[in-house]
Amino acid sequence: MDSPEQKITKTVSREDASKESMANSRHVIGIHFCGPTPLVWRADELKSARELGIIGTLVGSLARQPRQNTRLGRPLELLPEEGRLLADMGRAAVIPDSTNEDPEVNPEQVEQYHAGLENSFQEQGAMVLADRKTTLLRVMTEKHNEDSGSQEDSDGAVRDRLEALEHGFSFPRTAMAVQLCTARAGLSHCPEVRRFLAADWPTPRDERSETRFRVFRDLRRQGFYLTSAGKFGGDYLVYPGDPLRFHAYFIVVCISMDESMPLCDVLAIARLGSNVKKTVLLCSSGESQEDDREEVVYTSLQWSGMV
Amino acid sequence: MADQNKTSAKVEIGNELLNPSDLFETRTRSHKIPVRGQKDFIPTGSDQQRDWLQQSLDEHWNLVSEERVERLGNLVKAVWIPSDMIVELQSPAGKFWQTMGFSAHGKQCLHPEEALYLMECGNLQVFYQDLPLSIQEGYERFLYLKTMSIQHYQVFGHLKRLGYVVNRFDPSSVPSQYERQLNLPQSRDRSGRLPKRSHSPTSRHTGTQEGPTSKRMEEEKDCNREEEDKNPDSLPDISAPDIDEIQTTSHVDPTTSTEGGQGRSWWSKEGSPDPDSELPGQPQSSPRWDFSSIPFPDLGSRRWLPSSLTSPDACLLPGAVGSVGACDVAPWLQRLNLREVRMSRREWERERDRDRYRRDINQDREVRRCRNWAEYQELQERRIQRSRRDRPAHLWEGPVTPLHDPAQVTSTGELLEKISVIKSTRLLEGASSLKGSEEWRICFNIYQPDTVAEFKKSAPGKPYSRMCVCSFDGPVPDLWTLKLLAFQSGDVPVTYAVVDHGDISFYSFKDFQIPTDTSF
Repeated sequence: MDSPEQKITKTVSREDASKESMANSRHVIGIHFCGPTPLVWRADELKSARELGIIGTLVGSLARQPRQNTRLGRPLELLPEEGRLLADMGRAAVIPDSTNEDPEVNPEQVEQYHAGLENSFQEQGAMVLADRKTTLLRVMTEKHNEDSGSQEDSDGAVRDRLEALEHGFSFPRTAMAVQLCTARAGLSHCPEVRRFLAADWPTPRDERSETRFRVFRDLRRQGFYLTSAGKFGGDYLVYPGDPLRFHAYFIVVCISMDESMPLCDVLAIARLGSNVKKTVLLCSSGESQEDDREEVVYTSLQWSGMV
Repeated sequence: MADQNKTSAKVEIGNELLNPSDLFETRTRSHKIPVRGQKDFIPTGSDQQRDWLQQSLDEHWNLVSEERVERLGNLVKAVWIPSDMIVELQSPAGKFWQTMGFSAHGKQCLHPEEALYLMECGNLQVFYQDLPLSIQEGYERFLYLKTMSIQHYQVFGHLKRLGYVVNRFDPSSVPSQYERQLNLPQSRDRSGRLPKRSHSPTSRHTGTQEGPTSKRMEEEKDCNREEEDKNPDSLPDISAPDIDEIQTTSHVDPTTSTEGGQGRSWWSKEGSPDPDSELPGQPQSSPRWDFSSIPFPDLGSRRWLPSSLTSPDACLLPGAVGSVGACDVAPWLQRLNLREVRMSRREWERERDRDRYRRDINQDREVRRCRNWAEYQELQERRIQRSRRDRPAHLWEGPVTPLHDPAQVTSTGELLEKISVIKSTRLLEGASSLKGSEEWRICFNIYQPDTVAEFKKSAPGKPYSRMCVCSFDGPVPDLWTLKLLAFQSGDVPVTYAVVDHGDISFYSFKDFQIPTDTSF
């Protein structure tokens, strides 16, 4: 597994990178902003994020079946809190957008691309031919077993057919399989370069974002998995385990400590919670103590009856 | 790009490129998506749960990490042109051309969101600077405008994947109320033009209520206004201005209720909003008559009587007629209003009642019998008392009187009308005077999936709905926004697509009239 990595680091001309830093830096997740929205593109990074408890939402078409909406594919859209948490943990870095620099056509890269394409074409042609030959052989040997004619005749016949196949074989360029890359390829995916290029996480705008982030971080620290809950009228949905396998327990609504909530809103959200069989949690982040630990205060709403 | 790893058969670590043998293997790839099982409620930590979870996760990564592989012959080649924000096709378009794309400069072109969608479907390969763009680069390059952000694209993609036909919304393509009444066939200009467009000269006159002057424009303007003022009740809809006028950059004075006399050229090439916010490459609408600014002189008006009419603009007349001289109005005026007015029975009764009170008081017999002032005053008192019999003084003499006298017979409908303090209103009331908004705009037209077979880009017909994209982070649309967008959309309902970090919900606001349960 070492040789491919060393090839990559060679192009960046860092030959003395230690194995340890390579192992660590492999897990740095690259976050690319599309406008104000943080996205993750590479499949291995999605996996790393999920191992850290960051779920996100897939928003692109699925490669296997692009024309349906039940299962979507990459990119993964992160909540701003998710991205910020990853950046704070040092496990993710914001890759600045390089599309605005528009260099001229790079002839070297174009040449490399066309060479790669040609090479792929040749190899695929060879593979298709080999595949056809094996199919032919298999069919002929089956026939031979059935007919049980003389050995030499059948061998000669097979040889003739194989020769005919080779002469008459043509692999048109239009039949070549081509990959449409999902994530951007290039040097910026090198972990070393990534660290170097990383930009800062955009600072939060207001108190509400800050409250949301603190609540998110606290719940994540306790081991829960969180996703967004706009359709449930709240800020987050809280799962006890991976959302693939478990139902959500709570709907989190973030409010500030000194904000007063009208009774109608409390009733509305409680009613909603009981309808979807989830507990509503009202969360506020308290003042930061001297030991730099902010407290998050949770209040749950439960629909009780007096029977 | 560079095929570094020819020896290993695995996916590369640095890039996600597939080598030729992997590409070859994709021929036998499955096309089915595995179904997800039931979810659990409580995590028990059992092995079974862990295994299920691992299985689900493996399936998930398998699907998500798959790359798109297509036969080169199935891919349409295209080129990204950032200066125009357009993708130009270089090989002939496929089946998608029936519902997407437009022609410009003799070439087939696509809007960036359409191109990105087709890239994700694996039908299109877009090149920039001679290298193919990845999906990520497509997102980053095509979606940086505020008018077509990633939220708009998510809604676009969601609807396209469901099968709807989605086009960009062009405000000038909405037929005006007048055109709808006339039931004019809608024809859309076939060729979509790129950003450089000629704007017809628009002369701006602020509306004034002056009397007739020697200037022809203002004369016709006033004429127009007179006409519209005269018929406010009978045709309230026609006085609502053309959509063009709402969308143009002229400053509509909100105090003038009718917008006829803006003095604008009545041959409008397009009525699109200011160039800063518009999306380039939109198809232009065909030139249309702006009827509200063509002056039709009103000779029946009593207020303003012209002595003669100047000849109309030669362009308004059919070609062969040429220019006609000024018209002497006097003989025509004499022929007007010759027929006797036939009043309905109620009007006749009303006239009679009015005349009743015009009778000379000295003709009244009872008054004649009075011999002095005292008797006359007594008569007055008696008369008042008689009329007051049914009307108690404490109710009817004060400053605040009842709304209705029970002695007066009216129908239930009229009674209800009289006592209703809150009048019901419709969503579009007052909407014509609203100015445009920067925040809230209609983005897309949506057509139903089952119309795809007969769909024609040049004559798409009336859309099923129009879409406005917003998010839960932003404000809830208020009544002003609802009215504005409903008016901009004409008679097509507006749907609000709310995007919440990848999740899309659709809302619409419908007009509702509380039924009144009486027969009039």
